[in-house]
Amino acid sequence: MNTRSLKRLCAVFVGILGVIGPRSVIANDVIETIVLKAGLIHIGDGSVIENGEVLVAAGRIVAVGHKLDVPQGAKVIEYPNGSITPGLIDANAALESIDMANPAGYRLTASEVAHSVFCKTDHHEPAVGCCGSKCSRAIMHADGKHCKECGFPNKPPDLSLGTRTWHSSSEQSSEVIPETRVLDSVNLRSPDFGRLVGGGVTTVFAAPDSAAVISSQGAILRTAGSFSDRVIREADAVKASMGTDPSWKGNRNRLPFRSFVDFHSRRPTTRMGVTWVFRKSLHDTRRHAQGMGIHGADSPSEPAMDILKGVLDGRTPLRIQARQQNDIAAAIRLAGEFGLSFVLEEATEAHRCIDMLKANSVPVVYGPIYVNAPGYRARSREVSRARLHTMRVLVEAGVEVALTAQELREEDGLARQAMYALRYGVEMADVMKAVTLTPARILGIEDEVGTLEVGKRADLVLWKSGPFAATSEPIVVWSGGEIVVDRRKEKI
Amino acid sequence: MKAKAIVIAGWLVFSGIVMPAVAAPPAKLALTGARIIPVVGDDIPSGTILIEHGVITAIGEKVSVPYDAMEIDVSGKVLFPGMIDVHSSRGLDVANENFSVSPFLDVYDAIDPSRRFFENALRDGFSAVHVIVGNNCVIGGLSRVVRPIGLTPDEMTFHTPTALKLSVAPKHGWDRMRQMAELRETFLELKDYLGNLAEEKYEKSLEDKDEEIDVGPDEARERGEKLIRPEDYDDKHRNLIKLTRGDLDAFVYCGTASDISRAKTIAEENGFLKHMTLVLGVDCFKAVAELKSLKRPVVLDPQLLYRERDPITGKIRETFVPKVFADARVRFALQPMSSGSLAERYLNYQAARCVRAGVSRKKALRAITINPAKALGLEKRIGSLEVGKVADIVVFSGDPLDFNTWVEKVYIDGIKAYDREEDARLKELLGQERNRLSKSDKGGDENEETEKSESEEPAKAVGNKQEDGTDKKSDDSKSTITTEDQPSD
Repeated sequence: MNTRSLKRLCAVFVGILGVIGPRSVIANDVIETIVLKAGLIHIGDGSVIENGEVLVAAGRIVAVGHKLDVPQGAKVIEYPNGSITPGLIDANAALESIDMANPAGYRLTASEVAHSVFCKTDHHEPAVGCCGSKCSRAIMHADGKHCKECGFPNKPPDLSLGTRTWHSSSEQSSEVIPETRVLDSVNLRSPDFGRLVGGGVTTVFAAPDSAAVISSQGAILRTAGSFSDRVIREADAVKASMGTDPSWKGNRNRLPFRSFVDFHSRRPTTRMGVTWVFRKSLHDTRRHAQGMGIHGADSPSEPAMDILKGVLDGRTPLRIQARQQNDIAAAIRLAGEFGLSFVLEEATEAHRCIDMLKANSVPVVYGPIYVNAPGYRARSREVSRARLHTMRVLVEAGVEVALTAQELREEDGLARQAMYALRYGVEMADVMKAVTLTPARILGIEDEVGTLEVGKRADLVLWKSGPFAATSEPIVVWSGGEIVVDRRKEKI
Repeated sequence: MKAKAIVIAGWLVFSGIVMPAVAAPPAKLALTGARIIPVVGDDIPSGTILIEHGVITAIGEKVSVPYDAMEIDVSGKVLFPGMIDVHSSRGLDVANENFSVSPFLDVYDAIDPSRRFFENALRDGFSAVHVIVGNNCVIGGLSRVVRPIGLTPDEMTFHTPTALKLSVAPKHGWDRMRQMAELRETFLELKDYLGNLAEEKYEKSLEDKDEEIDVGPDEARERGEKLIRPEDYDDKHRNLIKLTRGDLDAFVYCGTASDISRAKTIAEENGFLKHMTLVLGVDCFKAVAELKSLKRPVVLDPQLLYRERDPITGKIRETFVPKVFADARVRFALQPMSSGSLAERYLNYQAARCVRAGVSRKKALRAITINPAKALGLEKRIGSLEVGKVADIVVFSGDPLDFNTWVEKVYIDGIKAYDREEDARLKELLGQERNRLSKSDKGGDENEETEKSESEEPAKAVGNKQEDGTDKKSDDSKSTITTEDQPSD
């Protein structure tokens, strides 16, 4: 055989591969019917099936139970020591934003800079100096060890990984900006999604930032799968914030008397101001809807009022972030004034106002669990009464509660928050509900995801052993029946 | 009676016998009915540990308990060796002195017994903490192994001097050339000093005898060497001399993989290669072959996962560091993460992470008990539950690798040093303070700021009717803590 014919033969082979290859991949991952067998199957509503099976076909759950009728040719995946749960749902995920990113890929938001300059309570004193440029004092690492975030001073800070994703998007143009959408600042190709799905989280609510009194509209997203299919809802709940988050940047709020105009020049500086802005914007919206005139300089814009009308009608869900007891009380009071129902976020001191939450049947998206606040919260004085039993108390009181990891990722992510909740006294059934069914209900997507029930989307996680155990991790994650994380070759 | 005990304790301290700051121990103590994980040797599903005068004298499924031993039923619990924090500068007020070469320093002068760190260490199941100077130095100072309980550094001390701290990784603001130059210079100067001292000594001896110098300087130095007595060394050089003669261990910090060969060179040149424990930065696993040839246990960075991005492909590669050492069969000791999240500060959680990443259970458990003891040269006294060892025992509520497991009690030298039942701060955090008040009508005057030393001893002394039966009292009281152990694994 001469070289030419050899080449031709090679070309034919390559051509055949090119035609067959991609199709066979699709056939394996999506169209095929899969049977998953595991030692324990957590349905998501708190119930479990021992040594059960889940049948998945065409991206949907077809059957759950024992000894199912398995169609011929179905692929069997069996892990007697493993367990299966629904894909986890984070109902308040602060996603990495594409805005305010520097070319090196290190996302340092303005609030981070400000935090690190002014805050001395974090584990290293001027934190930004450490990871950025100015770090000059070894004493800032009181333990003599390097910085957890960047490795300083033992190795040069690795700025390229961008694992710190604190604030999502801090829109600063006004105090009432419900017409803006978080989705516009989210990069669907961000490695942040890989980190989420690697921890078993398949659906998230992309949370707005807390810098405005009435902030943007969040989005409900899938963390994996084809990009065309990732967005479940472009514009969902509107977020409002009580407490110091919407006012703390207002230190220089002396307009028009003293300071220059920049995005730190915020209007409310106190809790009174925050409450006022919230009340006035809804009040104005109501008057506007009734065709009455609006007075005063602080009126919300027309597009903002269009969205707020939806909030008043109950068409658009409302979320209020409040940490301290008095802020939670303020949120309930304000919502009561306008007859609104809302979802409480953060709720650091929820253990101190259980009766209030119960009486008003306020669902809570609680988390992350901490004693010493991580990240940007450390600068806030609202976290000093954080307790480890808040989640347990909420569950025991019968409050509808979902767990969130917010900006924490990797090992600190949602699965670990669930692990903490277990340690601090919440039953497994309740913990499971708080990361699957309850967040799905809060987001209004419980018909689609949240449990392993027939007809729902096949978002599944196969765990090495029990879910949320210290020695366990997701081995395989399916999103819509498609394998999106596979650690089988590495660690089994 | 109490005053008498204090006098006796004081006498013991001054006479060189170091005693932890707890009430007089029961002479004989038997912990019965628990699952025992001795780390060295096989697990015992249900067994007894007999402790006599603070030392384990018997361990096994069937142990005949002497009639005069206090018997404590710990059935359903897990007995585990007290864990060891192998490298920590958190007990100090400041991690490092300002000047770079300070071998004359001793952490003794900087240990602050009232630090919250020690209280947490006890709560988290540590029975020994190696308090050592931080990494930002050239030659740091003397370290010591302390108990996380006691009112003074003397009361706390378990073993001293443990090691001299050196760092091959550059001090902040320096580069590696300067760091190494400083290290070399230090040891050269030491040689010089010894020579001069010998010469001086020889001259002095001649002077005493009214003789003239009859030999050259080299010969004089050689002759003078024999005349030097240990007390002739000055403070600046004494510890370095001990180090080079093998009387003192070295803890050498290496920031990156390339530092390891430099540490090896310095140690080889100055004769402490066999007494050197390397404290590794997170990427030092790359020099695992070299580390293996040293045949010494290594102390790993608390950050167990190493991430590296390839600058060309942009791909991120993750390496779970302990797995590399486990596969290469290098003994490693884990460190707790001092700051950050709620989990990594527990050494048993760090071990659980190793198991998750594929390290065997046995190796992971050794890495938090016997391996740190080996790194400290204390493996004959602590680090496992064996006959003849000091009775440092953690009573876990369940398997140590399960995150739902709590440290129920910590025995140090056979004396109960921690009891979760009496941990006011933990109860406050867990919302259990009301249970406690209703249980023992004490009035709950222990505020949140109560330090460990106050909440441990005097609380017992006040609350208990019989002073000598501290252990008995608290074990009679039934557990009211409602945290369920859920073996989710």
